[in-house]
Amino acid sequence: MKTDYDVIIVGAGPTGATLSRVLAQNGLEVMVFDKRKELGEPVRCGEGLGAREVVAQGIDLPKPCISTDIHGAKVIAPDGSSIVWKDKETTGWVLERKIFDKWLMEQAVHKGARVQSYTRVIDLVKNGGKISGVSVSHADHEPYEVSAPLVISAEGMESTLARKAGIRATSTLYDVDTCYQYEMQEYDHENLIELYFGNEVAPRGYVWIFPKADKKANVGIGIGAHLETGEKEGGIRGATPKEYLDKFIESHAQLKDASKLQDFGGIISVGAPIDSFVKDNFMVVGTAARQVDPIHGGGIALSMEAGVIAANTILKAHKAKDYSASLLKEYENTWRAGPGKKVAKRLLLRKVMESTSDEDFNYIFKTITEQDLNDVMAGKFAGPVAKVVAGRPQLLGNLKALVS
Amino acid sequence: MPIEINHSRCIQCIGCASVCPVGAIELIGLRMVFHPEKCISCGACAKACPANAIKFFPKGEDK
Repeated sequence: MKTDYDVIIVGAGPTGATLSRVLAQNGLEVMVFDKRKELGEPVRCGEGLGAREVVAQGIDLPKPCISTDIHGAKVIAPDGSSIVWKDKETTGWVLERKIFDKWLMEQAVHKGARVQSYTRVIDLVKNGGKISGVSVSHADHEPYEVSAPLVISAEGMESTLARKAGIRATSTLYDVDTCYQYEMQEYDHENLIELYFGNEVAPRGYVWIFPKADKKANVGIGIGAHLETGEKEGGIRGATPKEYLDKFIESHAQLKDASKLQDFGGIISVGAPIDSFVKDNFMVVGTAARQVDPIHGGGIALSMEAGVIAANTILKAHKAKDYSASLLKEYENTWRAGPGKKVAKRLLLRKVMESTSDEDFNYIFKTITEQDLNDVMAGKFAGPVAKVVAGRPQLLGNLKALVS
Repeated sequence: MPIEINHSRCIQCIGCASVCPVGAIELIGLRMVFHPEKCISCGACAKACPANAIKFFPKGEDK
């Protein structure tokens, strides 16, 4: 069994699959470990993916990966009024994540990458104080060591390895939404993602309906995990997303009689990316680095984009035989100057939304147009803010953070 | 034990592990495993759990 590689990647989700594909394509020997018994399982998200990143990477998604096409997102205010948001980000698909994740990894294997499922990384291996590999256990059998001059955490939210490398990768309760979701049937839809906002519906979060093929839909909710919305097991107070979701479904004309095919849940990051993405011989990429959209918690497109940025830096490091933090830092700088800027604007917007009352939210929705909403989502806040504040000056205090 | 995981309710979403400040919970195989020796009894895992599958005993009240 081969036990030394150029790069070891932990996690075979969209980040690990993209990274390993690009690296293998360029001749590097890459090993990807994933602790799941089967790649793609369990699904923990809404499964939405904008087309932009897929097109940028020249990936031709085969039909089974796609459940349905999406033509935009309908954003619904607490009073039921809605605006449709249509741009490059909301044109895409709702995926069959189970099939997509595995397929994306298969593309990397075609290019020469190796992957091993059901393999848990137990610890980092160090040599003279420097990270030099990992110890792993396959199917809970005797651990063994695998070495490489670069180890990458692409582990998603759990980020166990990043923590072991000494990178602060834990989210606070305030920085995450706790989510519950059902796959439901039957639901008639218009190929639009529906996002419901409001403190009654989903405090500091939203309810989503992501349409799928055959009149199915992922119906889910995320609420601030720091909120103490109800009593939990043992008597403490905490966040209760399932209760809110069940209440929403009961009050929804179409969904209240629909069936539930599957329960899933999870935690999504709606906070800032972690402070540092690199160390000597170590990188954190994708959701593990909290490279996630703070408005909708979407991470697939950002992960794939970050995978390419990181891979470009790794190719340089490999050529120079230098995996020091100072060289790997190029990836972090490129990310922060690119997608990171947009993520930062979205975080600002999320914080403003968080302090907006339902009544003000309704007013804003009556005042702005589809074009204004597109501008806001593109990070161009000045025009829409001026319009809202002109009619309701008292909102300036809340909204000025967006324009200062 | 500061917490008790109800494995029939657990949906292996790793939410608890993502917010645990000390890495006291991790997914091993198909099951969340708790490492009591690391736990600092902060309750973050129980507060965040979307499935209400973690019973939390505040310090001093654990069994």
